[in-house]
Amino acid sequence: MGRLVLSSVSKKFNNFQALLDVNFEVEDGEFVCLLGPSGCGKTTVLRLVAGLVAPDDGIISLDGKKINGVNKECGFVFQEYALFPWRTVKENIEFGPQVKGMTKTECESISKHYIDLVGLSGFENHYPNELSGGMKQRVGIARAYANNPKLLLMDEPFGALDAQTRNLMQGELLRIWETEHISVLFVTHSVDEAVYLGDRVVVMSARPGKVKDIFDVKLTRPRIRTGPEANIIRDSVLKSLSTQIKLASHEYI
Amino acid sequence: MKFETGKRGLLINILSLIVFTLVWQILVILARNDIFNIPFIRLRDIPTPVETWYALVGSMFTRIYGPSFTYGIINHVYASLVRVIEGGIIAFIIGVPVGIGVGYSKFLGNLFNPIIEIIRNMPPMAWIPLSIFIFVSGGSIFIVFIGVVFPIILNTIQGVRSTDTRLIDAAKTLGASESMIVKKVVIPSALPSIMTGLRIGLGVGWMAIVAAEMVIKSPVGLGYFIWNMGDLGRYSEMVAGMIVIGVIGYIMNISILLLQRRFINWVD
Ligand SMILES: Nc1ncnc2c1ncn2[C@@H]1O[C@H](COP(=O)(O)OP(=O)(O)OP(=O)(O)O)[C@@H](O)[C@H]1O
Ligand SMILES: [Mg+2]
Repeated sequence: MGRLVLSSVSKKFNNFQALLDVNFEVEDGEFVCLLGPSGCGKTTVLRLVAGLVAPDDGIISLDGKKINGVNKECGFVFQEYALFPWRTVKENIEFGPQVKGMTKTECESISKHYIDLVGLSGFENHYPNELSGGMKQRVGIARAYANNPKLLLMDEPFGALDAQTRNLMQGELLRIWETEHISVLFVTHSVDEAVYLGDRVVVMSARPGKVKDIFDVKLTRPRIRTGPEANIIRDSVLKSLSTQIKLASHEYI
Repeated sequence: MKFETGKRGLLINILSLIVFTLVWQILVILARNDIFNIPFIRLRDIPTPVETWYALVGSMFTRIYGPSFTYGIINHVYASLVRVIEGGIIAFIIGVPVGIGVGYSKFLGNLFNPIIEIIRNMPPMAWIPLSIFIFVSGGSIFIVFIGVVFPIILNTIQGVRSTDTRLIDAAKTLGASESMIVKKVVIPSALPSIMTGLRIGLGVGWMAIVAAEMVIKSPVGLGYFIWNMGDLGRYSEMVAGMIVIGVIGYIMNISILLLQRRFINWVD
């Protein structure tokens, strides 16, 4: 399970219309990428879905249940990792199970499973400041998964990584996603990343934030990054995006 | 401040102490021989480092003169330290929860802020006369408390308020309740600031106790010792007491820094 529906969602910050009439779905088990110019409200969409902020208008529902207050069925993976620096790798991953009141043994079997899954065996007792960026984000992913969410929200999770680590982590994410099949809503700035990862790519436009286009990426995995079909899709996404960026920048001129 | 580390750093540290002591010795000797003097200062009356050293050694332990005795510096240090630790513990127990409440809750912040802002501007010494007549005993512990509690409260507030909101968001999405967030996110993230507050507070408390002991007459305590030695004209012992105060303050500061480094090793 894990079907997310946003219907006619709007959000204002003071007098600034951040999102206006946003509609899209993430099907059960689907990997959807959210793309758009800076400031178009991608993070806001994720925060609304997570229930960290409430929409002014419209309905967000997960498996038919309207989201009201913090949505504990979502896992959130942050761009700058947002790991608890005073907790070791293992303790970070056990945070969710712990606050849910699970026993020590349950917590440990969960953290062991996800530490193995994300390939961090041997680093259980390291603190975040002893890890590289890629490893930190593995912890971030494992911590979100450890709560057994129906939907994973990822806000530019690999944005701070170098290109090589980023490619590696994309592969790792797909591998993890394929073993623990849950829905993913993945925000990125990179068209390449969106087309490599997503079953669908949602392109947003800015001021106010709206859904502009939705592209299906019907390519089998493992995908070839530079394959001809991928290039065609990338082209159309880029076009949709670049008119957006032009429009957005026009308003500043 | 930046420090040289390793052997070279230590060497420079030791050298500076030696130079300071030498200059002190030379200045006093020059003044005593009427060769050089700083105007308006009776340099000749200052004990030399050598005299101070002998006074320190000589008055380190309890001495018995027939039927009466005087406490040694060790006893005075112990008495003052116990007061600082007692006052410090009470200040910690009260200051940390107050700081967390005021830092975390807007309501408590508005409620307590004016009181904290006014009282914290009254130096611990200003409380001494009051404490003399309201406390039957333990007045000097109260003075320490006043000195320690405000640095702890203020640093705790600052630590709580600077908690990374993304960490709070992360905890929320992981299912943490409000009280869990305070316990498992806000407090750990404020811990370095709380320790800094404790360190600064104990420094203030250590200064406050010396002042308090000078005024609140108790037969033992470093402040009392210095005052008493001054009264008796035994300036070498007096200066020895002053140096002991400085050294112990320094050791307290370093010990907490080391504790902090040892147990809060996750800070970048
Ligand atoms: N809490 C807030 N208060 C006021 N304005 C906000 C708040 N959160 C977001 N905004 C505004 O809403 C708009 C959308 O922000 P958001 O962070 O969702 O954009 P984004 O698409 O994630 O941008 P980026 O690609 O730079 O991360 C921005 O103009 C931002 O300034
Ligand atoms: Mg964003």
